[in-house]
Amino acid sequence: MFRVLKNEILFKLNGWTFVSFIIGLFIIIPIAFVAIQFNNSSENWHHIQENVLYKYIYSTLILVLGTGVLSVFFGVITAWIISFYEFPGRKLLEWGLILPLTIPTYIAAYSYYDVLETFTPLMLWIRNNISFSAMNLFNDFMVYFVTIIVLSSVLFPYVYLSTRASFLMQGNKLIESAKILGHLPGQIFWNLILPLSRPAIVAGLSLVIMETLNDFGAVEYFGISTFTTGIFRSWMGMDDVGSALRLSSYLMFFVLLLMYFEKRMRGNAKFDQNDDSSLTHKRLVLSSSKSKSVLVICLVPLMLGFIIPVIRLSLWSISASKDFFNIELMQIRFNSIGLASFSSIIIVIVSIILLFSSKYFSSQIIKITNQFAVLGYSIPGAVIAMGILLVSAYINDITNIIITGTISSLFIAYLIRFLAVSSQPIDSGLEKECSQINQASRNLGKTAFHSLMKINLPLLKKPIFVGAILIFIDVFKELPLTLILRPFNFDTLATLTYDLNKQAQIFDASIPALIIIIITTIPIIFLNKKLERKS
Amino acid sequence: MSEVLQISNITKSFRGNAQPAVQEASFSLKKGEIATIVGSSGSGKTTLLRMIAGLEIPEKGQIILDGKVINDTNIFIPPEKRNCSLVFQSYALFPHLIVRDNIYFGKNSSQNYDLIQNLIEITKIDQIQDRFPHQISGGQQQRVALVRALAINPSLLLMDEPLSNLDRELRLNVRTEIVSLLKKLKITTLIVSHDTEDALAISDKIIIIEEGMISQVGSPLEVFNVPKSCHIASLFGQSNFIPFENLDKKYKHFILNEKNEKVISVRPGQLKIVNELAVDEDLLCEGTILKICLIGLHKQLTIKCKQFVVNVNLSNLTDAIIGEKVKVVFKKNFFRYN
Repeated sequence: MFRVLKNEILFKLNGWTFVSFIIGLFIIIPIAFVAIQFNNSSENWHHIQENVLYKYIYSTLILVLGTGVLSVFFGVITAWIISFYEFPGRKLLEWGLILPLTIPTYIAAYSYYDVLETFTPLMLWIRNNISFSAMNLFNDFMVYFVTIIVLSSVLFPYVYLSTRASFLMQGNKLIESAKILGHLPGQIFWNLILPLSRPAIVAGLSLVIMETLNDFGAVEYFGISTFTTGIFRSWMGMDDVGSALRLSSYLMFFVLLLMYFEKRMRGNAKFDQNDDSSLTHKRLVLSSSKSKSVLVICLVPLMLGFIIPVIRLSLWSISASKDFFNIELMQIRFNSIGLASFSSIIIVIVSIILLFSSKYFSSQIIKITNQFAVLGYSIPGAVIAMGILLVSAYINDITNIIITGTISSLFIAYLIRFLAVSSQPIDSGLEKECSQINQASRNLGKTAFHSLMKINLPLLKKPIFVGAILIFIDVFKELPLTLILRPFNFDTLATLTYDLNKQAQIFDASIPALIIIIITTIPIIFLNKKLERKS
Repeated sequence: MSEVLQISNITKSFRGNAQPAVQEASFSLKKGEIATIVGSSGSGKTTLLRMIAGLEIPEKGQIILDGKVINDTNIFIPPEKRNCSLVFQSYALFPHLIVRDNIYFGKNSSQNYDLIQNLIEITKIDQIQDRFPHQISGGQQQRVALVRALAINPSLLLMDEPLSNLDRELRLNVRTEIVSLLKKLKITTLIVSHDTEDALAISDKIIIIEEGMISQVGSPLEVFNVPKSCHIASLFGQSNFIPFENLDKKYKHFILNEKNEKVISVRPGQLKIVNELAVDEDLLCEGTILKICLIGLHKQLTIKCKQFVVNVNLSNLTDAIIGEKVKVVFKKNFFRYN
């Protein structure tokens, strides 16, 4: 430990590592500030603890469990069908199944706003013929049931994508060996393919859980009290920042616990057999009747998560009072595009600086600060927003500089939340493309800046582009962070959709919702095509 | 000749490994000398090379290059400021730059125009200067990497397994080319290789490293003929380990095991069989031929002597019959180092 510190300070400290360390700290501090609020005392805490904390825990756990199980079910089944069987429409479904990712959870919820109403006659019947409490119980059950289906139908592609990639990477040799040893296709799937894909399924599932915990719009709309809605209610409803912070810190520990279990479950397992034979993965051609069955199975989550919401929103948009090219809407569209584009640029630049410094100078300290800095993606937006509010208040006290309610606080929040999104492709690009040639460049006497400009950036064009597009999509859809930290009178398409729905202006809300879907669908299809071509 | 590189007591450990990767390594290189570090996988040879290049920081010890301390307890000159260049095992050519840009990439390389043109001519890569690395063969890539490393006119050239990616025929050609080029330019060179045949063919000096420790330093013939341990002897091919106690005390021996058994190493090719002993021949033992094995151009005889079994390589033309009684004697070349 002492030796590492000595090497870092004496031999590796330079402009690059110093700046990276400061940026890393800057990103970590708001999260760390929330983490230490677990004992924060506030006037309403006693009330929260006595009356609603249990409900927050209970609701959050039910949602996480239900959404997790259903997403794994949808994701694994569709990945299995797409990877191992050939049937008419397979190619279309292969990329079509990722489209639900373009629908933010809150928009999916709005598009099913009236589903619960269809159960009203049944509920009245239960009240009249059984009891009032039985009706309440059934109502609660239906609310959770519908919310879980809505969330799973738009989040399952995380499991689908990781599992499909794992299925395709598994060497044909293994499958052929199992066949030679007398195993039937079903046995091969359960005893070989599924266990081998466990790390990928867990990785996809963890993303589903993080997104469920992050969701605010959908759960608020269906009236479920989760930790995230609790944070909003404490801060905005009760004006109690202390309780909001304490809830945030509890939620953060819950997320960290989940991450720990995820890591334990995945361990160092990496079972993919990346040999040449995987490229000749043979799909079983299905008969006409079986083709129809698997087509229906794949279409169910796609209908629920994309086709039905888009059709309903499109139909509502015809009745909207404003059209797509309304001036006010253009301004808001400009806000969203500007915010997403500028955030992409800033976050990608920060990712490059942090990752390049860590790898180029083999700095352990920067590697550690980077690992903490990318934690933001796992932490719900509401928690990050509380951290930024807290740090902003301290800065305001000390320097009189106001950060809260400015665009800069939004950029900082997006940086903390989405740094991991661009870091992942850039990091693997650096590792794969530049690791040894950076050493060669240093060895040939070139400076770090020269190596970055002449070697790394030209070679990392693709990962940088992918990272930037992914951030653009995420920021464009983002709701909870933007809702808490946006400047006064500043709207994005996401906040406008939320506000209009809150005012029950379903038809008008469909226009910004559709714009979000259209603008995020284009880059997702483009990225998928690019990745397909690469593979 | 003055010493270009001096390594003293260099030690390096990696987290999670109980044993240091390199332990108390010391040796030196003179101007124009070509040395090869030889060792099995994981012995620490590449770590040692990377420490000299500045890509790893040693825990302790000192490295002096051209009379200047580049590594000490409180000194660490980063790789970009050391006047040594490294040819990587995978060549590490910049894939998006053409051969010419790769060659001229290094610091101040444009000032060495004449040297570079000379190198390009000698290595016969003038026709491929406008091509990208993926458009040229493995042998050409190897030469480009070598010219790029030499283009900055380094005091010391480091090469990590430079021939391991080439097929056998190409390897023999490139090996000869490299040696003649380095000798012509009088470049002090330190090579890492697990291939003892390469090491014997190209080096002035061989440094043997075992489990992080340098166990022998010497000329190729010295290391081949008088290894300091069984492991070193085996690194360079098959050998007979003959008990020292029954031999003339003039032979150089080493300790075989913990029981302090002393042995000498004699290669099967350093022995021959005779029916009658000549005056100037040294007898090793008398015995009976147990087995005859044909190995390419020679045959190997396994001979059972009184106290040990010995292997002897003979020409295919020599007659030998299983069960025949023979005398095993040392060939003259054995005595050059013993």
